[in-house]
Amino acid sequence: MLRYTVRRLLGAIPTLLVIVTLAFLLLHAAPGGPFDAAKRMLPEIQKSIEAKYHLDEPLWRQYLRYLGDLARGDLGPSFQYRGTSVNEIIAQGLPVDATIGLTAITLALVVGGAVGVNAALRRGSRWDYGSMAFAVAGISTPVFVVAPLMILIFAVTLHWLPAGDWVGGSPSHLVLPAIALALPYVAYIARLMRGSTIEVLNSPFIRTARAKGLPLRLIVWRHALRPTLTPLVSFLGPAIAGLLTGSIVVESVFGLPGIGRHFITAALNRDYTLVIGITVLYGALIILFNLLADLCYAWIDPRVRLR
Amino acid sequence: MTALRARAPWASLACLIAGCSSVDPSTTPPKLPPAPSITVGTGLAGEQILSRGLDDTPRSLDPQLSTDVPGQRLLDDLFEGLTTVDIAGKPAPGVASSWDSSADGKTWVFHLRRDARWSNGAPLTAGDFVYSWRRVVDPKTGAEYAQGMAAIDNALAIALGQKPTDALGVEALDEHTLKVRLSGPTPYLLDLLSQQYAYPVYQPVIARYGDDWVRPEHIVSNGPFVLRENVLSSRITLEKNANYWDAAHVRVQRVIYYIASDRSVQVSRFMAGDVDWTDSFPSNQYPWLKSVLGDQVVNSPYFGTYMLGMNFTRPPFKDNLPLRQALVLAIDREPLARYMRLGIYQPAYTFVPPLEGYQQPRPDWAGLSDAARHALARKLYAQAGYSERHPLRLDLESSRQDPDARHYYEAVAEGWRSVLGADVHVYEREFKVLLQELQLHKLLLFHDAWIGDYPDPYTFMQVYYTGDGNNHGGYSNPQFDRLVDAAGQEPDNVKRYRLFEQAERVLDDDAAFIPLYFYATRHLVKPYVRGWQSNIMDRNLSRYMYLLEHQRR
Repeated sequence: MLRYTVRRLLGAIPTLLVIVTLAFLLLHAAPGGPFDAAKRMLPEIQKSIEAKYHLDEPLWRQYLRYLGDLARGDLGPSFQYRGTSVNEIIAQGLPVDATIGLTAITLALVVGGAVGVNAALRRGSRWDYGSMAFAVAGISTPVFVVAPLMILIFAVTLHWLPAGDWVGGSPSHLVLPAIALALPYVAYIARLMRGSTIEVLNSPFIRTARAKGLPLRLIVWRHALRPTLTPLVSFLGPAIAGLLTGSIVVESVFGLPGIGRHFITAALNRDYTLVIGITVLYGALIILFNLLADLCYAWIDPRVRLR
Repeated sequence: MTALRARAPWASLACLIAGCSSVDPSTTPPKLPPAPSITVGTGLAGEQILSRGLDDTPRSLDPQLSTDVPGQRLLDDLFEGLTTVDIAGKPAPGVASSWDSSADGKTWVFHLRRDARWSNGAPLTAGDFVYSWRRVVDPKTGAEYAQGMAAIDNALAIALGQKPTDALGVEALDEHTLKVRLSGPTPYLLDLLSQQYAYPVYQPVIARYGDDWVRPEHIVSNGPFVLRENVLSSRITLEKNANYWDAAHVRVQRVIYYIASDRSVQVSRFMAGDVDWTDSFPSNQYPWLKSVLGDQVVNSPYFGTYMLGMNFTRPPFKDNLPLRQALVLAIDREPLARYMRLGIYQPAYTFVPPLEGYQQPRPDWAGLSDAARHALARKLYAQAGYSERHPLRLDLESSRQDPDARHYYEAVAEGWRSVLGADVHVYEREFKVLLQELQLHKLLLFHDAWIGDYPDPYTFMQVYYTGDGNNHGGYSNPQFDRLVDAAGQEPDNVKRYRLFEQAERVLDDDAAFIPLYFYATRHLVKPYVRGWQSNIMDRNLSRYMYLLEHQRR
């Protein structure tokens, strides 16, 4: 298992290199530069800024310079926020996204899991149809509709919770964004759990357990639950990576200082280093969580052997 | 006690979620349910904490590197130049308590306050200004707005790398006296010196921390407030600066700027009571907001102009005056401003926005009836060689930055179609792409806009000066250049303004651009926030503001 993990981690390096290279080339190929502005600046000053950020060097040298810095863990200076480094932007934003993301995913797992398993156990009942209707609605209602509605109800009208901001992650500021972010995941996990529970409940080993005369509760908790988690784990790997790097919509609607929002503005402002930095981070997290998912399979399903 | 009614936010869910589409502002607003109101007292509120919305994350808090409006808002609170602006946005004594100027207007002597200090208690001297101004024009600093200092002798030559920085026309006569030499008479100098690039910066922290000097833990400033906290893209907190020379008159103890680049978010946070003052609101929500919030919606003229530019270096506009005039004349500006921009912006017939003491040279065609103007436009269009068989086919290039502008441009294109029979399509590009194409003079007909840096026509005139970097259409007329140059050497402001008016007439005679409308400021302001006035530069310093007692019922 350890050898497997190390090998997978080493295998991630060329993948990341490809990601960096592609991001670098695509960004530099886009028209317009980070210091093009509506009001034109003097040529000498433009030259001085370009020299400061090494934009005057040939592209291959900029690329090698970037790789060298990256190897040392330095993602470079941000171009759109002068005097701020990309490392700093990520260090400031990642904890925010991680707090909201992990709260949301925990919420989604508990609520979605419970709803899904219950629906599977009472297949064809009113509860089943009701919860699945809710799930379909949850998946198909975009966050940019749900989040402002929640603000309108809980912040503007009832004044129960703040409409946004962060304030060091105080619980009252966490509630609305975490719920808004969790809703589609609750729905997705509920559907996923319902499907896999039904499948597992129909499998021969459950029939054996029923034949032994075990009560349903024991069957579900002891035998059925673990195998139902397999599809969930493959969903959760990339989902957690995505949540950690932030939801652009939730961040902008609630005014949260996460990194998702920077990704879009950085791309529009040609903030090369910030875009590549976030892309690399996102790539690394996806690789990491996919690896964790694979390791989880082995724990859930003894038939899986990692080599 | 006066009770100000703020109507309920229930009115239109759809508006908050999706943004309202264009609504005829003349229709009566929908009937609203009974409203919660804010009761405002007459005494000062016990807690003087002002929450302001901000449209975007400032790109830098270094006064000499800042180029954006959000940066200006913050820096106006953190720093103070030789001059500052008063509550009405007019220049007022800042670090300098008085000044004298020579008869030719080219030499000024500023007398600095003896009680002016940095936020760490160190005295603020004339030498600090010498250091700061040399810093902004030094190409090594990389200050994008270095040419803002062009009025100071040798500033441009230094910024172009032709002269050393100590050649700059600024000299400390003693600790409290600063002598400034100008390259020409500059009647707007006092406005210029209240701009962020002319603010003093504290040399010891810059020498010690380099780019990091603007962090809350290092920064030393000289304005009414100091920086306490800077959470990127989220919140910037300022505290009152006890070392500020006029601290006794600053009532607000803390200012919190909430950054929300999505303007609907600022609206919802205002509604929720988290924000007392928004930087703006989505212009398409104007009728709805007005019906819900009444007087809390504030909009007023802003010193900027929206226009369309034409490319003078290529056909069809090169050497084709009748075509350019036809396009200028065929636009129905009044109904477009009223219906497509909901009456927030005023229609423009000239370049320089309304300015005190300045007589806009309104062209004759602006007074024609619609029918007469259309007929004239058609005649010019035919004269330019176009007809129903051979219509003008062209793309109008705009940017995606302003989502509302698209409707407006579609309506402009439709006007040209119905009046002239021209076939113009609106084409949107990413902002950075548009900028690059503009600088390469690739576009024929394009979105353009200009916001003045200081309240003087000169900041507008530069745009159509031959060879200026912002002259995207490549317009050139020696007569216009001569008038602008003459105004640049004219110390008498009345005569200067006359010269600018003549220059504007040249622009109109040449149909140098297609004027559309003048900008307007857009704020939502709680009724208990006092100590501010709308002004054309849209500068509202927290220093003057205060909060009255209030209660939400």
